[in-house]
Amino acid sequence: MVSRKNKWIPFLFLLPSLLFLGIFIYIPLIQNFYNSLFEFSVFSQTKEFVGLKAFKNLFEDQIVTTAFINNIKYAVISVLFQVFFALVLAAILEDKLFRRAAPVLRIIYFVPVMISISVIALLFGFIYNPQIGILNSFLELIGLENLAKPWLGNSTTSIYAVIAMSQWQSIGFITMLFIVAIQKIPKELYEAADIDGAGKIRKFFNITVPQVKETMFVNLLITVTGSMLVFNEPYILTNGGPGFSSMTLAVHMYQEGFVKDNMGYASAIATLIFILTAIFAVIQIKVSGTGKEE
Amino acid sequence: MRGRKYWVLLLVIVSILSACNSSDGASSSEGKTEIDFFHRWPNEPRKSFYDQKIEEFMEQNPDVHINVDYVLNDSYKEKIKVLVSNDNLPDIFSSWSDSFAKNLVSSGKILSVDDILKEDTEWSSKIVESQFEGFTFDDVTYGVPFTVDGKAFFYNKKVFEEHGIEIPKTYDEFIAVLDDLQKAGYEQPLVEGLTNTWAISHYLGTIFQRLVDPEVLAKDYSLENAEFTDEGYIKGLEVFQELTTYMGDVSTAIDHEAARNMFGSGEVPILYMQFAEIKLVEEIGDVEFGFFDFPSFKDGKGDQTALTGAPEGWMLSKNAPEEAVEFLKFLTSDETAFDFTETDGQLNAIEGSVTAENANETSLEAYDLVLNATSVSPWFDNALDINVADVFMRGSQGLATGQSTPADILSEVQQTVEGMK
Repeated sequence: MVSRKNKWIPFLFLLPSLLFLGIFIYIPLIQNFYNSLFEFSVFSQTKEFVGLKAFKNLFEDQIVTTAFINNIKYAVISVLFQVFFALVLAAILEDKLFRRAAPVLRIIYFVPVMISISVIALLFGFIYNPQIGILNSFLELIGLENLAKPWLGNSTTSIYAVIAMSQWQSIGFITMLFIVAIQKIPKELYEAADIDGAGKIRKFFNITVPQVKETMFVNLLITVTGSMLVFNEPYILTNGGPGFSSMTLAVHMYQEGFVKDNMGYASAIATLIFILTAIFAVIQIKVSGTGKEE
Repeated sequence: MRGRKYWVLLLVIVSILSACNSSDGASSSEGKTEIDFFHRWPNEPRKSFYDQKIEEFMEQNPDVHINVDYVLNDSYKEKIKVLVSNDNLPDIFSSWSDSFAKNLVSSGKILSVDDILKEDTEWSSKIVESQFEGFTFDDVTYGVPFTVDGKAFFYNKKVFEEHGIEIPKTYDEFIAVLDDLQKAGYEQPLVEGLTNTWAISHYLGTIFQRLVDPEVLAKDYSLENAEFTDEGYIKGLEVFQELTTYMGDVSTAIDHEAARNMFGSGEVPILYMQFAEIKLVEEIGDVEFGFFDFPSFKDGKGDQTALTGAPEGWMLSKNAPEEAVEFLKFLTSDETAFDFTETDGQLNAIEGSVTAENANETSLEAYDLVLNATSVSPWFDNALDINVADVFMRGSQGLATGQSTPADILSEVQQTVEGMK
């Protein structure tokens, strides 16, 4: 019980975090929206008020459409691999059959998470290289040389090549979260299912999946919002090219701001990204019915 | 009781503020004058060259400490903008000429070098005067040129001799040469690293300069009354599209450095390349190469022998200390310039610092060409606003992958220009 006299004490403890959140998140957010109403260059100190013109331009900008579609592709594929496939992977690793190999495999899957994304992107640049890349060499080795192509230089494959790299990098992290969740499931549930004669697949769908629902929701949120914000991977691998084929919203924002020097428009794109991620987060929270344990 | 609460509050705030503060104070080193130096060559041999020159300067001036930072080309263009926007402009840094320099100057944070040039004529009179043009805006000079450059087609002499191929003078002859080379077994007679948009811009710049009437070009590039309706642009983009068909699949997935390596190893016989790269190619292998000017177009309206290329130089920030000026003079002295061309192979703008002693025959030939060109046009991405240039450059990546057509690109350019008015 907090006595009346000390009712301000809790706020005092909250103060540092509120201060930091305010300075580093909320104020920039508001400032960003304010900036998007202006047209200005990094080189000049004067800003020209243009109202909502930048937002009008957003709807006419074909690159925004391309980038948005690419972000959606990113989200769909990431959910497929990082949420569903990672869950299957986690369940397999927690299975009795793999008890001995599991610790080693866990480390193997987790290592990519610990490597810096820039290093990974440079590495995959070599893998996808049309002349010396091991991906094309591998395809030739197994007799599929007609499938070999300049993965990053082809406008239809470039975005998928970038997405594939992200999956390789992130799946270990999500798997780890699922493993922790699976370990928390009471053993009795599985024992009861064994007595009832349930098979492995049945146990997976009827015990594991419902029991890790909360983690699944968190992972879904992480991957979907992450997909909307993705920047490093396409920026380093392709810089959005060839043309605009592997552009994402964040790369487009960066290039409008720091390459083409349209700071106001870049702010508008940033606002768009914020709204999109906020919408996705709200939908997911609503659909999955709050974050409470059942 | 009440008083104590405020004390706690005060303590919290003070500790947060002081935590923010202490990180700034720690960086100054032992009372020396610090110069922040930013250049764009993390690649060898130039990185080592500048590292060594920094050492030399610090030895001569013991109370100066130089902090150096470097990132490559496209990244440099981005980073310098970030630095300008948040008031972290380095004291001395490299800059391209024309629109790149003009943008920087418009920030109002660049020091005019007029007084410095006037004060020390012994030093400034040695700098080739024609090269100042790209750094001068409204009769005020903001940069000191150091390197000069130009672009030409480099060819593998042995391959040309073997197959009895003559150096092409016109564009039609050039296409015939490419066809002949293809017949001779070179699937890609020409190569470029199309992931580098600047490499595309160099092609487009020269092609447009050759094809489009100079007056129309000047009007369109200046963006005042720009229309971009001249049929020369469509034709130019078609020319570029035709050339990409000789570049093979890989060109859209590699950068210029990879393309240069392919030329240097003899894999590809022709490459559109800067004179600055001569030494780099020599280091790759023992390919014997020469160069020829970009071929002329029969119905081109521009100067058919103009050279595309521009100097690069150094700029100073308005807040630069006195010592940075000394460092600038040191960097552009004839001694540094001589060493520079000797180690790096790139030509410099300091009179008497490119001689048979430090440059080979090909480089000397190029030097002559640069200094005596009938006219010089700057790099395309520095010649006009980057928003318009970007549509051309990225659109042309699309041309190479078959995603867009010349008409698409031009209509997008027209829209962009319209939106900027």
